[in-house]
Amino acid sequence: MVLSKKHSFILLALLICIPIFALVHLSVGQISITPKEFWQSLINFHEHIPNEIIAREIRIPRLFMALIAGASLSVVGLLMQTLFNNPLAGPYVLGINSGSSLFVALSIMTGIPFFASDLGIITNALIGAFLFGLVILFFSRLVRTQIALLLVGLMLGSFISAFVSFIQSASDAQELKVFTLWALGSLQKVEFTQIPLILLVTIIGIIGAFLIIKPLNILVLGEQEAKLLGVNIKRVRLIIIVITAILTGLVTAFCGPIAFVGLAVPNLVRILFKTQQHFILITASLLMGALFILICDIIIQLAEPYFMLPINVLTSIIGAPMVIFFILNRLR
Amino acid sequence: MIRTDNLKIGYKQALLEVENFTLQKGQLYFLIGKNGSGKSTFLKTISGQLSPISGSVFLQNKQSIEIPFGEFPKTVSFVSSHFPNVDFLKVEEFIALGRSSFTSYFGKLQSTDNKLITDSFSRLKIKHLRGRFTSQLSDGEKQLVAIAKALVQETPIILLDEPTAFLDYSNKILVLEMLKSIAKEMNKCIVLSSHDIDLSLDMKCDFLAVNFEEKIMQLVNHSVSKKELLGFCF
Repeated sequence: MVLSKKHSFILLALLICIPIFALVHLSVGQISITPKEFWQSLINFHEHIPNEIIAREIRIPRLFMALIAGASLSVVGLLMQTLFNNPLAGPYVLGINSGSSLFVALSIMTGIPFFASDLGIITNALIGAFLFGLVILFFSRLVRTQIALLLVGLMLGSFISAFVSFIQSASDAQELKVFTLWALGSLQKVEFTQIPLILLVTIIGIIGAFLIIKPLNILVLGEQEAKLLGVNIKRVRLIIIVITAILTGLVTAFCGPIAFVGLAVPNLVRILFKTQQHFILITASLLMGALFILICDIIIQLAEPYFMLPINVLTSIIGAPMVIFFILNRLR
Repeated sequence: MIRTDNLKIGYKQALLEVENFTLQKGQLYFLIGKNGSGKSTFLKTISGQLSPISGSVFLQNKQSIEIPFGEFPKTVSFVSSHFPNVDFLKVEEFIALGRSSFTSYFGKLQSTDNKLITDSFSRLKIKHLRGRFTSQLSDGEKQLVAIAKALVQETPIILLDEPTAFLDYSNKILVLEMLKSIAKEMNKCIVLSSHDIDLSLDMKCDFLAVNFEEKIMQLVNHSVSKKELLGFCF
């Protein structure tokens, strides 16, 4: 893999921007915390010092989740776009997050204690993402055109929302509040001690994506061509759906359904890098996605004294116009 | 090279009965017949995308259904009638994908791969297209690039589905002459479907002709008259 000068330059720029914005992200907020306090909270944590608690239980997990959510959703979006040969594919557009939403709604509102626990929500989000990945896969075999698949995804999304509303109408105020807060999306739900597990699962998912770069590069030509070149389509499809379910499910479980990142970032990357080499596309989507959510979350935190801006609202405000832009440009 | 034995082809039911024949190395064959008569079905059957309804196809003396999935790309290359519409895919990257079944797990190209790619550029006289994006090519250039990709696959058999369909007159001749010389000089068996009857007759190649009414496909010698050929097919 030879990186061109331009590609290495953009990648390097991203690599430099991320730590800079990460530092900005850590430092914004009403209470100022010194670097020393951050360091202390990591290596020698004092439970009685409020600044160290804020650093360890609020700032650091939030930064971590911003990076993970952005990177995961963007890689997943890229994989789906390549699999379906469709620049408008993504976990949100195709209703994969909706699948998670449905199962989380069920879990929060069924009243069964296990389901309402953290582990229950995560498990349900994963199951939901996987099931709806399979549903979309099934429909993608039936429909012939790109537009038809998107319509199916959208319809599936509305169908599930209706279903979720129905569940909501039947649940009590407390459950409703839990679910609504979850659905608005938040990067603040992770605890410090959960970080290693989330990191491990995410890394496994992302390594999985890197392991299939060769079939991904061929899949760009479409499934028929890929088969003729010896790609085992069924296996690659299954791997992509599993990675999608794991990464989307995990992020959705902790942060709620974050819209449009998975769609917008890979497109941005493709336009910037002008390549179909998936080694570059995956790497760049990872970095760009992480940076994107990082910046979104900095905006959110800066706005916090004036008004509440949930992450899902902000990504939709930025993402929806981008989708319209892509549609106008690509599918005329 | 390609031998058929009581072959019947089609999707769920037999669409076409194929006469027993053997197609030779070093030859170009024109597959002609009406729309919907089964030309594409025949190409799909030979390239392993479709199983025969009954009877068998032998590729290099191996029965096609016994060739493992991974070996097919090394036996038959297929140039589809539609060039993949992909943004930001460079010509050289596109052609390099033809080496997929030979490259390692991550698809890294070796010097032999690069040499084959360079050779295919010079043979098809498309060196100047190397760094261009495939989406910016003209229809004629796309066809040559697609053929180059089939060449680097190093298969003894090349199948092309209507390679001349979208081309202007001069490009049609260019592509056909190119394919004929490739068949001869590189000792390959090339089958292409086409609706350009007059051009095909000029090329002095044998025909695989489909009779729509009788639903049979026959090997017809190139010395056939235009009237006879048209009478058989249309």
